[in-house]
Formats: sequence, structure tokens, C-alpha cells
Amino acid sequence: MAKPPIRKPKKKVCLFCQEKVARVDYKDTGTLRKFISDRGKIRARRVSGNCTRHQRDVATAIKNAREMALLPYTSTAR
Amino acid sequence: MRRYEMMVILDPALEERTIQPSLDQFLTVVTTAGGSVDKVDIWGRRRLAYEIDKKSEGIYTVIDLVAEPDTVKELDRQLNLNEAVLRTKILRPDQH
Repeated sequence: MAKPPIRKPKKKVCLFCQEKVARVDYKDTGTLRKFISDRGKIRARRVSGNCTRHQRDVATAIKNAREMALLPYTSTAR
Repeated sequence: MRRYEMMVILDPALEERTIQPSLDQFLTVVTTAGGSVDKVDIWGRRRLAYEIDKKSEGIYTVIDLVAEPDTVKELDRQLNLNEAVLRTKILRPDQH
């Protein structure tokens, strides 16, 4: 009986901690776009690999950007 | 006095060269109340991620200013009364 292989997911490092970004800017849509799916939804922390603090900052930044029509609330592409 | 960052989306039908003067007119509220306008950055025409008032484009401007909270509230009120303004957002950069 072969045991199911134990997956060891590669530990992701928070992008913002790595680059020592002081604050997540809602105007920086290029960076924020990395954290939304192609449907426009915010990526979960286990997908994005962000730390608690920066995930929260990213989420607020995305919400701010959505209010200003910089990012979509939903996109029907696909 | 606090630092604020304000983003304003203007009607795309406005002409580029009339933007600066009309913004200055709004910002006199800040200067007369003893505040200061540090930077006015006009991004120009940009596609909106979704339609606002049936418009698919907007002229984005970002303004950095220092003012009293009440002054900023008044500025925001006046901007929202103007029909050329599609949307505004005011943030305090030290808190975000």
C-alpha cells in the first residue's frame, strides 16, 4: 500500500514584507492587480501568500481602488 | 492641521487646459482657510473599470494638501455639488 505522498507546500513570503513597503497604495493598480482573480475577486491569503497585516492592507487598498473605478468590482471576461 | 490626499474624477468632456484653473478655484477654499496645497497631479484621461453616470472615461487628478478637517469637509461638499465632478475620495496618507 503506497501512502499518499505528503505535500509540502512551498512557503510563500509576503511580497510587501520582502520589499519593505511602508504602505500599500490604492493608486498602484499594477501591484494590486496581482492580488485579484480574473473575475475581479480578491485572492485569499493562502493563494497570495501575504502576511496578515499586508493582506488586510491589500484588501482595503483594492476596495478603495474599486470605489474610484481603478479596479473592477466584477469583470465578466471569460 | 492634517495631511490629506484627495483624488477627483472629472467629466471627460472637459478640455484639458481648463482643468488646472477650475481645480485652483476649488482649492481656494483650502488656501483662504490657512491650509496649503502641496501637489496637484493631473493623470489625464483614463478608462474607468466600470461606467459612472454612463461615462466610460474620466480625468483623474490627485491632490496633496494640508488643512483642517472642517475645511476638507467643505471642499468635498463643494466638489460633490459640481456636475463636472464624477467622484471624489479623501484619504489621510499617514493612516493608510
